[in-house]
Amino acid sequence: MTLQTAERSFSVSPTARGVWRRGRAIVLVGAIVVIAAVVPLLLPSGSPQGGTPLDPGDSSLVGSRALAQVLGAHGVEVRRVGDVATALAAAGPDSQLLITDSVSLTQGEAGRIAAAPADRLIVGDVPHLDVLARGLTAEIGGTRSRSRAPECGLREATQAGDAYMGGTAFTAPPGSTGCYPSDGKPTLVRYVVDGHTVTVVGDGQFMTNLRLAEDGNAALATNLAGTKQRLIWLVPPAQSDQTSQPSGPDGSDGSGSEPKSIGDLIPGGVGWAVLELVIAVGLVALWRGRRLGPVVAERLPVVVRAAETVEGRGRLYRARRARDRAAIALRAATTDRITPRLGLPRTATPDEIVTAVSVRTGVDPGQVRQALYGGAPADDAGLVALAGFLDTLERQVQDS
Amino acid sequence: MALTGRAGLLAALGAVVVLFAPRPGLAVLGVVLLIACLIVVDLAFAGGVRPLRFSREGERLVRLGQSVTVGLIVENPGPRRVRGVLRDAWPPSAGAAPRRLHVDVPPGERRRLTVTLTPTRRGDREAVTVTVRSLGPLGVAGRQGTHRVPWSVRVLPPFLSRKHLPAKLARLRELDGQHPALVRGQGTEFDSLREYVVGDDVRSIDWRASARRRDVVVRTWRPERDRRVLIVLDTGRTSAGRVGKAPIPLASEPPEGDRPDPGDDGPRPAPGWPRLDWSMDAALLLAALAARAGDRVDFLAYDRAVRAWLAGSSRTELLSSLVNVMAPIEAELVEADSAGMVAAVLARAKRRCLVVLLTDLNATAMEEGLLPLLPQLSSRHLVLVAAVADPRVAAMASGRGTAEQVYDAAAAEQLRGERRRITSLLRRHGVEVVDALPEDAASALADAYLALKAAGRL
Repeated sequence: MTLQTAERSFSVSPTARGVWRRGRAIVLVGAIVVIAAVVPLLLPSGSPQGGTPLDPGDSSLVGSRALAQVLGAHGVEVRRVGDVATALAAAGPDSQLLITDSVSLTQGEAGRIAAAPADRLIVGDVPHLDVLARGLTAEIGGTRSRSRAPECGLREATQAGDAYMGGTAFTAPPGSTGCYPSDGKPTLVRYVVDGHTVTVVGDGQFMTNLRLAEDGNAALATNLAGTKQRLIWLVPPAQSDQTSQPSGPDGSDGSGSEPKSIGDLIPGGVGWAVLELVIAVGLVALWRGRRLGPVVAERLPVVVRAAETVEGRGRLYRARRARDRAAIALRAATTDRITPRLGLPRTATPDEIVTAVSVRTGVDPGQVRQALYGGAPADDAGLVALAGFLDTLERQVQDS
Repeated sequence: MALTGRAGLLAALGAVVVLFAPRPGLAVLGVVLLIACLIVVDLAFAGGVRPLRFSREGERLVRLGQSVTVGLIVENPGPRRVRGVLRDAWPPSAGAAPRRLHVDVPPGERRRLTVTLTPTRRGDREAVTVTVRSLGPLGVAGRQGTHRVPWSVRVLPPFLSRKHLPAKLARLRELDGQHPALVRGQGTEFDSLREYVVGDDVRSIDWRASARRRDVVVRTWRPERDRRVLIVLDTGRTSAGRVGKAPIPLASEPPEGDRPDPGDDGPRPAPGWPRLDWSMDAALLLAALAARAGDRVDFLAYDRAVRAWLAGSSRTELLSSLVNVMAPIEAELVEADSAGMVAAVLARAKRRCLVVLLTDLNATAMEEGLLPLLPQLSSRHLVLVAAVADPRVAAMASGRGTAEQVYDAAAAEQLRGERRRITSLLRRHGVEVVDALPEDAASALADAYLALKAAGRL
């Protein structure tokens, strides 16, 4: 039977126009998302959240430009310094160093600051606090920052009154003054080490442009920062500085003797070759990933073995050790099979069957009755034995 | 658009170049641009896939277990040569081979490709799609497109029991009065008169005719013809159960050893064929035999609705129409509606006929469904219930030795006891019952039919 079909073939692949029409909404949404992500980065950073915290040159809500201007109005010279070496060079007996928690210091830098001949104002959870403020320990787990009362004899604090304090509480060394306590632990500590006044504040938020106008924050900040003629305000180094001179300024540390890393030993071309290999892997993925036509699904009929119900019943018997039911089933099957062979009607009574079986086989009637109509076997071995004996009886009836 | 392995290989070779180049960054850019150029050139010069025209020719019918070839003609009206690979996608159970074909059609010409189908399941198999990947002259990239080329192949039941047909037909001829050892039964039809030969039954001498002819004349008899046989196939849930050993492995049967084994009693046997397929096999043998015997055969498949109905087809066309009607029938996973089935039978069979009901002797289904309705049916028709027994149950019933096997044996005996009880109930209603193992079911049903025919009970 050869038939030429009249049905024409037709292409079901999407055309370029169809792909564009179906995908343009997705492309549009994707473009909007990308633009929304990229444009704020390209715009000049005038947004309030973009500033560096506690930076005297930063006019955002987290910066401290207002404080710097207030200090300038009070005749304090504020120097904004980006790295530790410059700060140390400028530090003198008539100056105070302001270190905030936005600055990341190494252990060596902290030690050098501690040895500098200047007072120190440490704001926030600065690393290496044990070096910068010897004898002072910060409590584990900070406290909530809120408006607190001074509750101490420090003049700067009592003049200012309530201030927005908290952050970290301290255990002060003997001879120190602690203010603005939280649960009895002060969040502002002032004491003298090696002839320099060290002031530690748990939280710097009272110095930010956002909080400066609240309570006595401005007074407290001016009092604390304006103790000396000059304030050297340490800020994090600018981004460009960090990358261009990572091992530059400190010759004393011996950056020249630093061993070359394995990255320095690999020729520059290898990285590009790896990039090329990545491109190759991408092309291979495109090659292998393109299917030749669609995946074809098919509804298949269920596969149910008819014997599953019987097997399930067998397992139930086994699980419950249902010897009585099993024995009844086996006995009924045997009687059903041997009754016609004995020439008895289906309605034959047990007595008739037992008598007929024992006459035909010569087995003791009591034993036959026990096998065909006895009680349930006591254990599994009894059941197996019963099955075997029923088989023997049936065979004997068949053979006789 | 599709790439080939060459694009990836070029990029990998480019990595070596980049490694030794004095300006590696520029080298990467160069290699990428080169590959991009090659891809664009290949795409531009590859033969177009969209304008290709396809048509098919070949077989529309195949028996399960046999193979069939379907020709696919590819015509290239475009200006460029189409060279590449082609996949003719069919459903998995159509067993299409090979999976991908090489195609090379010059412009303005056509080529014929051949796909061989070896279906593993009954029913209609529709061609899905034809996908062509046409590569460019460099073999780096190609165009890809998909066409729909409609074609369907109907996979018929295999009718494996036709091997029994010659033997059954021989027995039918024995009944037919062509042999001297004529089986004379009640109700057989008067055929003709012939001269007495020694050995004829003296009771069949027609004395009136003998008186006219002055010779001893006997009557001959033949089995009745033009009786009606209605084969009813139950396609409900009980027909989905798989029994026996599949003579032809079916789709959806996981390969040996791969099968999950939830039980603790060792590997489980292969699931075999559904009862439905065994029943179809038996029905086909019965239909073939009845058609030769001169009876009219109708066919009804029913679960909760009429799945198939075939009536009044001529004797020569009966078998082909029957396999055609049976091919798409699948077992439905619903309880069969016996009342509806009886009503459908009564509505269709106006005259007395032999109703052969192919179902399972499932105790609950029978007691709640068919048994109460049987008197309606058996009062007007002769009913024969044919069921396929499960050899696995027989094997379990003979299990001895360990306690587990004896428990299984008890469960199997329980089921067989139920079947015996149902059988005796049916017989009490005057229904003939055939309960045979899958391999013997067709033969046993044919024997039962011949026995009824010999006894003149149709």
